[in-house]
Amino acid sequence: MVLEFHQHIIAELLQEPNGGLVILSSGLSLPKLIASVLLLHSPSQGTLLLLSSSPNLKSQIIHYLTPNAPLLPSEITADLPANHRHTLYSSGQIFFVTPRILIVDLLTQRLPTSNLAGLIILNTHALTENSTETFICRIIKSLNREAYIRAFSDKPTAMVSGFAKTERIMKSLFIRKLHLWPRFQVNVSEELEREPPVVVDVRVSMSKYMGGIQKAILEVMDACLKEMRKTNKVDVEDLTVENGLFKSFDEILRRQLDPIWHILGKKTKQLVSDLKTLRKLLDYLVRYDAVTYLKYLDTLRVSESFRSVWIFAESSYKIFDYAKKRVYRFTRSDGVELNGQSKSVTGKKRKLKKVDNNEDEDGGTSSTSTKVVLEEVLEEAPKWKVLREVLEEIEEERLKQASSREEVLLDGEENDHGIVLVACKDECSCMQLEDCIRNGSEKVMREEWEKYLLSKVQLRSVQTSSKKKKSKEPKGYGILDGVAPVTTAQNAEASSVSKQEHDALLAAASKIRNQGKSDDGDNPKTYYGSKGPGRGRGKGRNRNGRACVPQCANKDSKNNSKAAIEDKPEISGSGNEGPADEIHSSVVGYSGGMLETAFVEKEVQWKRSLKNDTAESKDSKPLPPVHFYALESDQPILDILKPFVIVVYHPDMSFVRQIEVYKAENPSIKLKVYFLFYEDSTEVQKFEASIRRENGAFESLIRQKSFMMIPIDQDGHCLGLNSSTEAQATTSQNAITRKAGGRKEVEKEMQVIVDMREFMSSLPNVLHQRGMRIIPVVLEVGDYILSPLMCVERKSIQDLFTSFTSGRLYHQVETMVRYYRIPVLLIEFSQDKSFSFQSASDIGDDVTPNNIISKLSLLVLHFPRLRIIWSRSLHATAEIFAALKANQDEPDEAKAIRVGVPSEDGIVENDMRAENYNTSAVEFLRRLPGVTDSNYRSIMDGCKSLADLALLPVERLAELMGGQKAAQTLRDFLDAKYPTLL
Amino acid sequence: SSPQSIQSRNAILVSQRQKGNPLLKHIRNVRWAFADVVCDYLLGQNSCALYLSLRYHLLHPDYLYYRIRELQKNFKLRIVLCHVDVEDVVKPLLEVTKTALLHDCTLLCAWSLEECGRYLETIKVYENKPADLIQGQMDTDYLSRLTHALTSVRSVNKTDVVTLGSTFGSLSHIMDASMEDLARCPGIGERKVKRLYDTFHEPFKRVV
Repeated sequence: MVLEFHQHIIAELLQEPNGGLVILSSGLSLPKLIASVLLLHSPSQGTLLLLSSSPNLKSQIIHYLTPNAPLLPSEITADLPANHRHTLYSSGQIFFVTPRILIVDLLTQRLPTSNLAGLIILNTHALTENSTETFICRIIKSLNREAYIRAFSDKPTAMVSGFAKTERIMKSLFIRKLHLWPRFQVNVSEELEREPPVVVDVRVSMSKYMGGIQKAILEVMDACLKEMRKTNKVDVEDLTVENGLFKSFDEILRRQLDPIWHILGKKTKQLVSDLKTLRKLLDYLVRYDAVTYLKYLDTLRVSESFRSVWIFAESSYKIFDYAKKRVYRFTRSDGVELNGQSKSVTGKKRKLKKVDNNEDEDGGTSSTSTKVVLEEVLEEAPKWKVLREVLEEIEEERLKQASSREEVLLDGEENDHGIVLVACKDECSCMQLEDCIRNGSEKVMREEWEKYLLSKVQLRSVQTSSKKKKSKEPKGYGILDGVAPVTTAQNAEASSVSKQEHDALLAAASKIRNQGKSDDGDNPKTYYGSKGPGRGRGKGRNRNGRACVPQCANKDSKNNSKAAIEDKPEISGSGNEGPADEIHSSVVGYSGGMLETAFVEKEVQWKRSLKNDTAESKDSKPLPPVHFYALESDQPILDILKPFVIVVYHPDMSFVRQIEVYKAENPSIKLKVYFLFYEDSTEVQKFEASIRRENGAFESLIRQKSFMMIPIDQDGHCLGLNSSTEAQATTSQNAITRKAGGRKEVEKEMQVIVDMREFMSSLPNVLHQRGMRIIPVVLEVGDYILSPLMCVERKSIQDLFTSFTSGRLYHQVETMVRYYRIPVLLIEFSQDKSFSFQSASDIGDDVTPNNIISKLSLLVLHFPRLRIIWSRSLHATAEIFAALKANQDEPDEAKAIRVGVPSEDGIVENDMRAENYNTSAVEFLRRLPGVTDSNYRSIMDGCKSLADLALLPVERLAELMGGQKAAQTLRDFLDAKYPTLL
Repeated sequence: SSPQSIQSRNAILVSQRQKGNPLLKHIRNVRWAFADVVCDYLLGQNSCALYLSLRYHLLHPDYLYYRIRELQKNFKLRIVLCHVDVEDVVKPLLEVTKTALLHDCTLLCAWSLEECGRYLETIKVYENKPADLIQGQMDTDYLSRLTHALTSVRSVNKTDVVTLGSTFGSLSHIMDASMEDLARCPGIGERKVKRLYDTFHEPFKRVV
């Protein structure tokens, strides 16, 4: 069923034959809209091309098209032979195509533009004025003005980033009409609010410590923002905590800071990255369970450099402290909480504690157990319990309904299984929640806890073996005490405490290993430490597989067998109390875990403080069938499952809209939606802010639309960007001056031969804008051929660094130097980033081999003929190219293609050396071990060919190579037995 | 004169013209001395550098050209060390790039005097250094070395290397294989056979 407002959108869009740009709120089912648009296409209009679609979007569009379309759109790929593509382009069908393929086909005239009905662009928000898409539109419009261009986006917030972005994109796509369809638009809101679903808003209060962590993070964040303001480098308006909650905050910062990045101090740079870390911490707080969260913090503490500002901020120790307290705490055996003292950290008490620690250390090192007791807390996420309650309630209601009116069931037969959809953010939470519901949250927490401890054991064993134990420990284990590592004494406490844990765990793990058979030796490396987690995960997934989660079914099947093997040996030892916790009885799986804890309990005194222990799960109520859906996977889940009840576990604006649309399309379904929010959390704040932000974006777009200036020609066609008209003007000017010269020369267009692979970048587009003819070919040597003598290898800054390390650049330059008189390396900086490699303060005191200066100097020394262009931006590059071409001949396409490609007899054209040398053999020789720059010539003098070389005895080789050692290396390599793979 | 020449061989020779250039403060890792040289900085027997501040270029746009012309054909590596010390770089840099490129000079850009100094130092220090550093580190295990060598033959890929290795047992046997033996390997087509065979059996030097 087509939505009314979709029909409105389409009607409006079709009014303008030249096309238009549609921006609609996210979640208003863009794929469905596109599908409806595609259904209107008839082959008589010509071919319709869909550009730059993501795989998800593509599959969704096809999903919605499948029942109605006579012929589904197929994809044009680079694998199809050229003539085949030509016939497809003229067939009048609908095709998905990537911009790179399309632009090359356009430039090589493989696409009959007269046969083109139009173009649909699906990710307009990702475009810039120089994107290949704009290049495509410019060429299409120049060849076939009647072809329409329809652009879509459902990310309004991305359309307002940067100055007049929408207007500039519209111009470069030759689009005049802008259609805005916000959620608050009358038609949309009327339709979606006509019969809204029943909404139950469940506010879950966070646990005390969660609240504490959140507060602490926000405090630190605020402190960082204050610091940032002091730098005076960023627009103060953007620096709010609310903005800081969104990913786009980084972009805001980067956009402002990039042009001056090289003059920023280390501190400012660190602040930027700290803010990002903090945002993640906030997000994970509500997404991860307590143990995983602690684990993340641990790794963060290890990986974050000591330079991090935030780690030492006043409130941040609270983050660590509380996170730890959600999992475990230390008490003295007489019941006094050890860490309780240090919590309210004042100078005096710290000192007190230090004394304690020293005592502990003494006890700890002499492996006897001490007075310190590790008490597990294992706080479960508050939402887990609520989710269970909600599900129980749903099931109760369902049963009541089912019994009260059984006769109605006939109507909605396909729905009577009434599956409940639980939507959470990612796959990982899906699996964990599912595990929770099936096996009880306590068990899940325990498994995570075991995993956590065992990973610590591993870390430990790695560190002890590396002998740097003393120096390394403070970094790795400072975390455990939840206090920022300030003094070594404190760390000593941590390490001693962890030592107890690890001793215990090691003992437990080794016992288990002795018991279990060696049949899981397939994983020898992690066997020792990770047996527990491996098993735990195997079990979890295993059960997931049985549940109705189609997307992870195949993943799980892999684990099935392994999990089964691992579980078996432990059956015998399962006796004690295992089964009690199970809901869906899978005794086998659980026993292993219990066994392990049993051992651990013997070694150290363990206390459990989980309130809802085994008792709770015993009297658990029946639950409805549940499907867990990860929002990230982005599938048309609602239309596939047709659920009656939806639980939104992680609130997400776009998904809420999808639910609204689903309800509007299926008014007969009595849809009930539960939202689970943490009360007073940033989760709520973020959700609300995302709606505000989108509305704000639309308001700004509406404003922009009111004074947008899109130039058109007399026939109402859009003129596009100014630059193209400018280019035309300059070429015609040139023509005039030439005529004044008196010669009647045919207007000669500048030509550039461009490697196919270069169409990922925007440079070909900009060159074309400048009026150059672009000839795409596959080049063996270089990226751009400007003249018969001049060959350019383009490197963006990032490419430059990576291709220096990989050695790729060296070889590229080597071949360029071999075949061209003027080999050029183009170093292309990005317009909106700083124009420099590094700030003066980053240049160290010495010449260091890894510095970019050193590498570049070395390149220059080895290739004195290499020319270097330093370009500020794409447009500057185009200028330089034009200037360099001014006095040169135009390049020859056919020749350029042949360069560096050996002909049938292996001789490379234009290769000076090839006439005299068997270049391929020389290259081969030089790559052999033992062969160096200094001895390869004498080897070549001493033997005829490689086959000859293979037979030379080591003595002779030593003569030729000037050394016994090198000769032996080479001889050994030649004779080495090739390792068999079996 | 020999001790002096040894000294001068290990030092950057600086033209008197550069007197007072604050850049000299930043040449600290290498010795330098004033000398009567035609270039600004003599970095080695065949390499030299001219220093150009973009700001100066804006005032004297012809300066670079005349300096380059003075160098004549005496150097293999001629560097124009361009100090980017203006905000609006596009136009002046275009001119400098064009002049340098069309008159056989290698352009190096630096954004601070420290960086300029570092380039001069590095080029002097690395004068005789092999290019290993930028040739990419190669894995030293047998299979990757073998792959590295065999893939130098055009169109031979990693799979072919495994095929060849397991068929012939060692590299010397591969190099000695007949065309028929090579052709019997799965995946090695006619062209690859010929290329491989020619690589191994054609003499290194073509006798004219």
